[in-house]
Amino acid sequence: MNSTKLDDIIEKLLNKSESHGFDGAEIMVTSQKDFEASVFEGDIDEYSISESSGLSFRGIKNGVIGYAYTEKIDNTSSELLLKEAMDNLKVIDSKDQEFIFTNEDERSYKEINQFNEAHNKVSNEEKINMLKKMEKEAYAYDHRVSTVNHCIFGDGNQLLKIRNTYNIDLEEKSNGFYIYFSVGVKSKEEIQSGYSIFFGNDYKKVDYKSIVHEAVDKAVSLLGAEPIKSDNYPVVIENKTFASLLKAYASIFSAEAVQKGLSLLKGKLNREIGHSGLTIIDHPHLEDKMASRSFDSEGVPTQEKKIVENGQLKTFLHNLKTANKAQVESTGNAIRYSYKSSVGIAPSNLYIEAGKLSVEDIVKSIDNGLYIVSLEGMHAGINPVSGDFSLAAKGFLIKHGEKIKPVNQITVSGNFLKVLQAIEMIGSDLKFGLPSGASVYGAPSIKVKSLTISGN
Amino acid sequence: MVKENVLKEILVAALSHGGDFAEIYIEDRLNKSIALISGAIEKSLSGRDYGVGIRIFNGLKSIYVYTNDASKNNLVKLAKEAALGLEAGETGTIKALSRINVTNHHKIERYPASVLVKDKIDLMKRAYEQSKNYDALIKQVKVNYMDYDKRILIANSEGLLKEDRQVRTRLSVTSIARNNSEMQTGSDNIGGHIGFELYNEKKVDAIAIESARIAKTMLLADKCPSGKMDVVIDNGFGGVIFHEACGHGLEATSVAKGNSVYAGKIGEKIASDLVTAIDDGTIKNAWGSSNIDDEGFKTEKNILIEKGILKKYMVDRLNGRRMKMEPTGSSRRQNYRYAPTSRMTNTYIDNGNSTKEEIIGNTASGLFAKKLGGGSVNPLTGEFNFNVMEAYIIKNGKIEKPVRGASLIGKGSAVLKNIDMVGNNLALGQGNCGSSSGSLPVNVGQPTIRVKNITVGGVKDE
Repeated sequence: MNSTKLDDIIEKLLNKSESHGFDGAEIMVTSQKDFEASVFEGDIDEYSISESSGLSFRGIKNGVIGYAYTEKIDNTSSELLLKEAMDNLKVIDSKDQEFIFTNEDERSYKEINQFNEAHNKVSNEEKINMLKKMEKEAYAYDHRVSTVNHCIFGDGNQLLKIRNTYNIDLEEKSNGFYIYFSVGVKSKEEIQSGYSIFFGNDYKKVDYKSIVHEAVDKAVSLLGAEPIKSDNYPVVIENKTFASLLKAYASIFSAEAVQKGLSLLKGKLNREIGHSGLTIIDHPHLEDKMASRSFDSEGVPTQEKKIVENGQLKTFLHNLKTANKAQVESTGNAIRYSYKSSVGIAPSNLYIEAGKLSVEDIVKSIDNGLYIVSLEGMHAGINPVSGDFSLAAKGFLIKHGEKIKPVNQITVSGNFLKVLQAIEMIGSDLKFGLPSGASVYGAPSIKVKSLTISGN
Repeated sequence: MVKENVLKEILVAALSHGGDFAEIYIEDRLNKSIALISGAIEKSLSGRDYGVGIRIFNGLKSIYVYTNDASKNNLVKLAKEAALGLEAGETGTIKALSRINVTNHHKIERYPASVLVKDKIDLMKRAYEQSKNYDALIKQVKVNYMDYDKRILIANSEGLLKEDRQVRTRLSVTSIARNNSEMQTGSDNIGGHIGFELYNEKKVDAIAIESARIAKTMLLADKCPSGKMDVVIDNGFGGVIFHEACGHGLEATSVAKGNSVYAGKIGEKIASDLVTAIDDGTIKNAWGSSNIDDEGFKTEKNILIEKGILKKYMVDRLNGRRMKMEPTGSSRRQNYRYAPTSRMTNTYIDNGNSTKEEIIGNTASGLFAKKLGGGSVNPLTGEFNFNVMEAYIIKNGKIEKPVRGASLIGKGSAVLKNIDMVGNNLALGQGNCGSSSGSLPVNVGQPTIRVKNITVGGVKDE
């Protein structure tokens, strides 16, 4: 759809909202063009292209918002949208006041460039040729590689528009790509798997061999893994793995969860919640990070903030509704995962600030412990309400300051808040994981005093 | 939805550049979801999904395109663009479309659109009250309701033209119990390929109270010990262990490329004699059922494992080509944004001969996993993990005390062989399964079973 026609549809909808009984209204439109291909045994296996868009209408009346969306964007849908939104509005009986952003204080927007024209000039053929080279490289790199089970390249262009009846008119154009590569390696009857992921929007930065080597090295390093004795051990959680644990518990920082009694941080604002060296930052303006943005899903300007500083909880993440309830300003963390969903709360680039120690020095400090490189089962094995987790893990046994052998078929159990308190050392190797929803999570490697390992 | 001559034109465009098979999938779906928290309705969302997916095969190569601009010109343009993904070849042949009426096996009495929103909300408020009033320790309750009414059309170059309508609804309750030091959750749900007639006061009360009971029990429970134990897994949602530990490894998606520990093992013994496992997409009005799969094949009752012997994989059209096997009515997708692939529907371990009492009574010491949470698996290595929502210690054949925070890990192939007792109380539970073609409604199920020697993750006090 051309943009004049779309602007015309948006304009008409906003204009009609008043006669349908709304005090104010907002339209969000996303349009996307995506490409994805995978290679198997030297040939294209799957190949997909798509163009899609969706429009969401939100109308407010007496502090209550009604939602409706459609994937059929034309002027004929508008009556139905407005009616549905009003019907949805009428059934809400929550007392929390909602808002459509007015920007009365004229807060300014930081300019963020998330679009790289150069990437769109890379041909699909070139991307596929790279995948073919990656698959070949894996088998050449190590004879124990028995299968390349994922060799995928995906990219996309997105256009996001938010307009409302209070003169907010925002647009963000972005593009990006990812490469997902995973292998199985076999030695005698034993199989181990490993994967690596690369994402960004600058194709020139891709070093395909290092992506392949990372996945293969990871799998090979686990050959010969076996469980260890059940006990409590000091543990080092590797950077990306700690980042995924942070991701699993990110909802505890949401003001919405706090206000509903669903966060274990309720009542802990301005109190010590972790080790004195622990600082957690939400930074929406980092260069080269996929979750960077100048405005959030309500159109509010985003801002950098320390959530935890030197172990002390400084702020929760807010959208307009929770901020009003807590009598603070929105932190610009409103999120809608798509035009279908309602406004929630999520971080942008959320990370634990790096410390000064090298991972080698951290490992050296342990006489008998565990170095964890993977935690599985996050979607079920963690309880974001209680903080308890019990997860399948892989890693290496540390003896006298050295990683001596691979370990698998164990579980690691603990409580997230207690982990933050039991941090003993923070590494200098901050690393970000893959994007998840609208967020990216990062952490350095971290030593925790003791966690329960279940094995033999 | 789209006229037959247009469908034909799209198929022609799709095979204009080579390729031996083309398929169109059209979806038009009305969604409704309502969320209640703290006793008040907080969200009511609705909308219409509409989109078209076009798939082209050339041998083992597959191209997929989708759009929600369903104008004829755009679809033909997109089909041609998709065709360019293939190396140039001879134009594929297209048979005349012949419409086949799909017999409906899942009677719907009360379509979502015919039910007042107020009735849906009353149901949710009732669930809230029931849970909240269960005990003073229940401090928060979340109730979610959803329904959808989805129409699909599938047409392909072999002349198939079928339409189907799928209606699903689900109600779930999560209760949170809290005292001064701890918080624990419990949840339960019901859902089906069925209309609003699914619900009545008795059923709604049952899931609300069940979720509250679990939350309270777990709040007052000790921490689960860790180590290897014999584990008795209760019927119903406990079947998620088969779903993860084995089911995913029997999907052609993993098997075709040799990425499953069960690849090449048809006819071999992969489980204990007591295990017969079935994937049945035909069960009347069940959450994971449908009349046809997303390639237009009739759904089937597939016996995957019979008395421990591997009989069958779940196969879709594309992977069937690689495996030289016929499709089994197992091809599914979340929506038009995903190409379909082989997925589970309603998957369960069939009844055995023991009673639940015998199984627990015969266990000298171990863990009773009354209710499992979710889990995941790495099909390549067969390593799985689950969270246990509600568990108890078994001592001398008796349930001794509740314990919380347990997880189970292991390798699927080992677990199947270590099932040494199977009960006679088969039941199904509803879940959502996320995998390569999106998130899908699935039933999991089993009677009460016992598995020897599983690693239980728990907490050891300092």
